[in-house]
Amino acid sequence: MDLHDAYVLLNWSAGELSTRFQRVPGSQILLRYIKSSYQNDPVRSVVELCLFLFAVRYLLAPRYSTTQKGAVELTEDEIDELVEDWTPEPLVPGLTEVEQAENEKRPVIVGPTGPKVKLSNGRTVNNFASYNFFNFVSNELLKDRAVQVLRNYGVGACGPPNFYGTQDVHMDTERDIAKFLGMPACIIYAQAFSTISSVIPAFSKRGDIIVADKAVNFAIQKGLQISRSTIRWYEHNDMEDLGRVLEQVKRDMARKPLTRRFIVTEGLFENTGDIVDLPAIIELKQRYKYRLILDESYSFGVLGRTGRGVTEHQNVDPQSVEMLVGSLAHGICSGGGFCAGSPEVVDHQRISSSAYVFSAALPAMLAVTTSETLKLLEGNPQVLTALRENIKAFRNQMDRCEYVECTSSLDNPVCMFILKRDGLEGRIFGNEEKILMDIVDEALANSVMISRVKHIYETQGTKPFGWRCVPSFKACITIGHTKKEVEKAGSVVRQAVGKVMARLKK
Amino acid sequence: MSDAAHGRRRRSSSLIYTEPPETIEQQSDQAALPNLNASWVNSKGAWTIHVVLIIALKIFYDTMPGVSQETSWTLTNISYMAGSYLMFHWVQGIPFEFNAGAYDNLNMWEQIDNGDQYTPTKKFLLTVPIVLFLMSTHYTHYDLTYFIINCLAVLAVVIPKLPSSHRMRVGLFTVPEE
Repeated sequence: MDLHDAYVLLNWSAGELSTRFQRVPGSQILLRYIKSSYQNDPVRSVVELCLFLFAVRYLLAPRYSTTQKGAVELTEDEIDELVEDWTPEPLVPGLTEVEQAENEKRPVIVGPTGPKVKLSNGRTVNNFASYNFFNFVSNELLKDRAVQVLRNYGVGACGPPNFYGTQDVHMDTERDIAKFLGMPACIIYAQAFSTISSVIPAFSKRGDIIVADKAVNFAIQKGLQISRSTIRWYEHNDMEDLGRVLEQVKRDMARKPLTRRFIVTEGLFENTGDIVDLPAIIELKQRYKYRLILDESYSFGVLGRTGRGVTEHQNVDPQSVEMLVGSLAHGICSGGGFCAGSPEVVDHQRISSSAYVFSAALPAMLAVTTSETLKLLEGNPQVLTALRENIKAFRNQMDRCEYVECTSSLDNPVCMFILKRDGLEGRIFGNEEKILMDIVDEALANSVMISRVKHIYETQGTKPFGWRCVPSFKACITIGHTKKEVEKAGSVVRQAVGKVMARLKK
Repeated sequence: MSDAAHGRRRRSSSLIYTEPPETIEQQSDQAALPNLNASWVNSKGAWTIHVVLIIALKIFYDTMPGVSQETSWTLTNISYMAGSYLMFHWVQGIPFEFNAGAYDNLNMWEQIDNGDQYTPTKKFLLTVPIVLFLMSTHYTHYDLTYFIINCLAVLAVVIPKLPSSHRMRVGLFTVPEE
């Protein structure tokens, strides 16, 4: 009978299976475990079995990546073909017409720089294009001192400050700058540009909030980008807008964990030449509990009765600025930068500010030149008065020019001029760089060297970062020229502007 | 700091929320240095320490006077589960300043093996609590109360390890960070 045969076969195979199973080592333990675990509680056993089966399934599943979804598998030939087809974009875009023309006409200085320089074409011109405000470049005393230090210490420090780059002169200079500013402590960096772009990321990290002026210079923009912080912009020098942004941040962050918060701005703006309203910012920062990072690259040594910067100029206690960053390469005519603040602020940077940790220290002669220059400034406050006289003389000449206006503060030796739009809107628009270049060339032809302001525009992803500056040209006033020479230069520039604009009107 | 700019948009009403993919900037920061916070789980001895810790916990609870075998197993189980939940699923980010905070939104389980699923380490780390649970129910002699406690503990560490809970956040009482 079929049914009977099947029954026998089933019985036999069941018996065979069970004997085979019992021969497997450990099977007795498993049986005992299953028997004892059942315990007349099927629900619990099912839960355990499910968990066990889930674990087995998890162990057998193949690995996969959650980040690289849908990557197409390509054969070797297809890869070769794609490589063949690929034309790389140029690393830098080609030169524009204006840039091409500029490269051809760029003046080259032969010999040392100073108020009067010799160009490679043999002509001697008045230099209004260097940040040599007090003519420290031609100061024999500083030169002698630098040479003396060079003979004793050699050229470079040859190591980062934390290894063996720090020399006694560096510590002296740090003390001198702190004393000069009236700050408790100071740290010096080897390069002016990397000072602010390293100080910002040393304090502000991802998740922290930075409220910054829209017109901050390129070095600050770099620092803001590297810090990975959340950046909120306020309109240039608009204290009402700053208040609005701070209020907005306060509202947004009301129920969130506390983060570090900073306001970042400049003393004298590199891009516009105007001056910050420090008392208003201090008031706002105290009300909303922010820290202030102030870049005094252009105002240190220039503003104030004795050149102590924008804090002295606007009668603000320098210690109410948490991180006061400045440059020794502009007005001081030496090299490097510094950050002054409380001892905690300074000591934090010594191990966590990348430009300080990873760059070789400032050459000893530049450190000494800085100290000597500060002494000179302290001893001769009349150089500041002389500089302001010269600025006034130049601006008086330029004020008579109907085509341009100066955006710089009255005390700023870097006078920045933008074209007035009225009446010539159509002709100026889109053509400004060319017009400004013609003005600069025309002035140079009459022995006054000024320069057009050049910008690099940053993007973050596809969005522009920072703001687009109005094209401008600038003249840097120095006390190396007599008042007559400055007036003459002012009238030359004014006539150059007039000539170019008259040509444009035709 | 707009939501769109950061790609972390979320409706305030939803309880469950998935961490969006990182921006290019975050990805490059993550790749800047090896993630030492997560890579150690693949190194020598990192697997053994789980077994060693469990045995140590068991011995510790056994030496405490007045603790029965059942309680001792349950306590061992709960301690291990609580510890591993805290370590792998609760704490986010990296305690060191290596990647400029680019991992701040991810817990350690999501950082392991760059978020890949079913890797050998993840398989091991999931098996350990399940085996420990089966052992502790066995040695608590299948008492229902102990079983429920142990079962809840194991679910608390198994569910967040599932591939479908990857980058998922449940916010009952907390306002999510933007």
